[in-house]
Order: sequence, then structure tokens, then C-alpha cells
Amino acid sequence: MNVGIEHYVVVSAILFALGLLGVILQRNLLIIYMGLELMLNAANLALVAFSRFNNNPDGQIFVFFIITVAAAEVAVGLALIVALYRKRQTVQVEDLARMKL
Amino acid sequence: MNLALLSHEWLVVALGLCLLVADLWTPASARRILGYVAAAGLGAILLYSLIAVRPELQPACGNMYVLDGLALFFKRFFLAAAIIVLLMSAEFFDRLQAGIGEFYALVLFALTGMLFAASANDFALLFVSLELITVTFYVLASFQRTRLNSLEAGVKYLIMGALSTSFTVFGIALVYGISRKLNFNDLAAVAPQFGGNRIFLFGLLLVLVGLGFKIAAFPFQLWAPDVYQGAPSPTTAFLAVGSKAAGFVLLLRVLFVAVPDITAQWSRLLIVISGITILYGNLCAIPQRNIKRLLGYSSIAHAGYMLLGIAASAATIANTTQNPGAGAAAVLYYLGGYLFAVLGAFTVICLALRHVENEDIPALAGLGQRSPLLATTLTLAMVSLAGIPPLAGFFGKFLLFKAALAQGPAHPAYYWLVAAAIAGVVISLWYYFGVVHAVYWSKEAANLSPISISRTMRATLYACVAGMFFIGLCPGPLLDCAAEAVKALRL
Repeated sequence: MNVGIEHYVVVSAILFALGLLGVILQRNLLIIYMGLELMLNAANLALVAFSRFNNNPDGQIFVFFIITVAAAEVAVGLALIVALYRKRQTVQVEDLARMKL
Repeated sequence: MNLALLSHEWLVVALGLCLLVADLWTPASARRILGYVAAAGLGAILLYSLIAVRPELQPACGNMYVLDGLALFFKRFFLAAAIIVLLMSAEFFDRLQAGIGEFYALVLFALTGMLFAASANDFALLFVSLELITVTFYVLASFQRTRLNSLEAGVKYLIMGALSTSFTVFGIALVYGISRKLNFNDLAAVAPQFGGNRIFLFGLLLVLVGLGFKIAAFPFQLWAPDVYQGAPSPTTAFLAVGSKAAGFVLLLRVLFVAVPDITAQWSRLLIVISGITILYGNLCAIPQRNIKRLLGYSSIAHAGYMLLGIAASAATIANTTQNPGAGAAAVLYYLGGYLFAVLGAFTVICLALRHVENEDIPALAGLGQRSPLLATTLTLAMVSLAGIPPLAGFFGKFLLFKAALAQGPAHPAYYWLVAAAIAGVVISLWYYFGVVHAVYWSKEAANLSPISISRTMRATLYACVAGMFFIGLCPGPLLDCAAEAVKALRL
């Protein structure tokens, strides 16, 4: 069987959907954050595959930017979640409901 | 490479780094002064920009970055907003337990992201500048680490922001996969042939999701009220003005430079989103008790009004009309008036509600006696946001509605959109005047001690009031700038 661009795109779409499901269904902030990372990496996979099959290096260079930015985002995000845990001793989303009408 | 074109960005980054270093040698008691230094530095950069920089069509960095009229308009806008925000945060310093020096530096780095966003002509730069703004705002929103509301706001912004980023990146991947282009100009050349390609259109839609999150348009507005309420007031002010305007400049570039032909097909979608955003923001603002939360809902409504201008421009691509740039120029003008009204309102919130745990509207009671200047500024800001003549908000709304009505004969949907917008304006009078009522006529004033205002804050308030009046009474200069700026778009 030849692995074509469709296979890569389908796999990346499945990964993206799994990440999105995780974000929507999970109640733990850390697991939600893992889902978000999975979504970003699904996009990376699609970009690299498109770049390879289109013979155009722009996509691969863009992936480096995404990886770098995602690392910065994780650093800030985990620090925030730790700060929240220190204050409330919980990382469940149900407990983030102080501000309401 | 033509790095001289990036002078605004270099200067702001250098200022931010100098500030971080200077923070090490400054005693804690004097750190507050650094904010004034940073604001003065930005003032110098703004002056340099006004005097020395002319819009050139030269691209830099392989055509990723352009310095055209639109970019320059927004760069000056962001610089002006950041100056007021820095002065506001210098006043706010006693409520920021973590280092105030870092707060100033982060404001400058977020500003750098906005400056890059104003010039982005490529999906890669769009993504990087958007993330520079968003990631900095995660920290700025949760800066009061000991206040639970601030942390909660930060975490909510983090999750929603990261989610919208993933949508944007996946959308860019699909657009790139089909068209092989990341650059807006290259994409514009090939986009018409993909008008029927579903994957391409889906990718573009996902990119718009990310931008819709930035400007807080329906249905991506859920984060706005909570984050506006919980974040420190200077952050909220910068989020309401800078971050929203950055979303709009990117939206204008993507819609009218990269894919104008597809935007013309999507005018109906823009009409629907704009109408729902206006009604949602205004209706949900009515029962609010917290003034920052109220301004959060009102900012959603204002995003809707500005989307109305973009929807009006989208229709002009297909049918040639007399004045094709009217809608987009009205958006730029509206942002100018919005800047002074929102920053004025948040400066008042910073000063008047200094010793109050929650910024509830009843806490404003008696402000008319405590400080006539603060009361007048807040009233004028509310009046301008509501859109009552002669202030800036009225003429901005007038121009937006006029641009939309001009498209009415061809597409009757625009009449319905303007009707919804006018209904929104009428609803908004109710809650804006609720604030004014609390300021002057509330009977439950407990504390009537006068509020002392420092000289810089007094000057800031005067500047905001003067801005609202000037833009409203002589709209000519700003309108000319806006009309000149939108020539960069393909309308």
C-alpha cells in the first residue's frame, strides 16, 4: 500500500478531533491542556505532510515556529495552573466558577 | 531584508529589555517611576513615527512584513493605547504584589506583538504575532497572583486562547495544503481558483475562528466577561483596546488582502455574526452588576458594530460602488473613538474603585461629589460608548450604519442588520445610563471622602476627554487618515 497525502491528513484530522474531544469532555485542567497540545501537534503533522507532498519547504519552517511558540505557551500555562493549585488545591474546571452574573 | 522598516518594533523591544535591566538596579520604592519612563519612551517613539515615518510599500523579510498606510495607522493607535495603559498601571502598582517592573515590560512585549500584527502579510507572522499578544496576556491577566479572580481569569483566558490558537493553526495548515501559499499576496493570486474547494474554505473558516476569538465576536465571546472582570484593570483596558484592534487589523488583512473573492461570497455569514454579536452583547450587559463585566459585554457589542463595517465592505468587492472603502474606513474611525472612551472609563475605574474588593456599580455611588473630574470622565465615556452626539461614538456609529445602508439596495439583508444594530444601540442606553445614574443619583453612598488624583492621572483623564470631543466634533483629520489607510486593502 502506498501511503499518500490523504492518509496523513486523515490521521491529523483524527488527532485534532481527539484533542478537541478531550478539551470538551475532560474536567481536569491538566488533561484539557494535553488535549490542546494534541490539537497543535495534529496541525504540525498536517503541515509537514503537506510540505513534503507539495515540495515546498515553507510549511516545515512554519512548524518550527509553532513548536517554539507552543513551548512558551506550555511554560506559561503550567505555571498558571500550578499557581491556581497552590491557591485552591484543585485543578478541576467546576471549581473555576467564582465569577458569575 | 530591509530591517530599517521594522524601526517601531526594534525600539519597543529595546525599551522593554532596558526596562527589565533597569528594574534590577532600581530600589523597590522607585520602581513605579519606571512606568513613567516607559510611557515617555513610547511617547518619543510615537512622535518619531508621526514625524519621520512615511507609509512605504516596501516589504521586509521576504514580503512577510509590510509597512503600508494601514500598518502605520494601527501602529500609532497601539502606541497611543500603550502609553495610557502604562500610566494607568503606574497608578495601579500598589495592587500588583508581584514585580511592577515586569508588568511594564510585559505590556511593552504585548505591544510589540500588536505592532507586528499591524504589519503581518503572511500566515506565519500572523500566527507568531497573535501568539506573542496572547501568551503575554495570559501572564498580564493573572498578574495579581494572590487574588483568586485574577488567577481564574488567567486560566480561563489560557484555555480559550490555546483552543482558538489550535483552530487557527489547523486552519492555516489546510489553507497551505491546498494552495501551497502562506503569503497573503501570493495567496490572493491563486485563491479565486479554490473558491469551490471545501477543504480550503474550511481552513479559512478555522482561521477566522481564531481571529473571532481575539475580537470577542459571537460565538467565541464566552471568555470575555470573566476575563474582563477578573484581570487587573490596566490589563483589561489593554485587552479591550489593543488586543481587539490587533484582531481587527488581522481580520482586515486576511479578508481583504489574502482572499477578497471569497470574502465577497461570505458577506451573508459576516452579516449574521455581526447582528448576533451586537444583540448578544447588549442584551447580556443589562443585568450586570460589576462594571468591568458590563464593559466586557459592551466590548462584545462594539466588536459587533465594527463587524458591521467589515460586512459592508465585503459586499463592495462584488459590486463596484462609489466609495468602496467606506465600511473599512468607518471601522478604523470607530476604533479611534473607542480607544479614548474605553481607556477613560478604565482609568476612572482604577482610581475611583481603589479600595474596593469588587468593582460593583453601586460602589460608584457618590462619585459625583467625591470627584467631579472622575464622574465627568466616566459619564462622557459612557455617553460616547452609547453613541450620543456630539462625542466620538456617535459619528463612528453613524459612519458604520451609513456604509451598511449603502449596500442595502443590492442586498436587503443589510437593512435588517442596521435595524438590529439600532435596536442594540437603544438597549445599550439602558445599561450605560445605569452607570451614570449610580454616579450622580444613587442614594446609597456610604463613603463621600474626596478622591485625590495625581497630576499625571489628571492629564490622562483630560487627554481622554479631549480625544472623545475632538474625534466627535472634528472628524475630518482622523477620517482622512482612515480613508488613506484602507487604500492598502483590495476593495
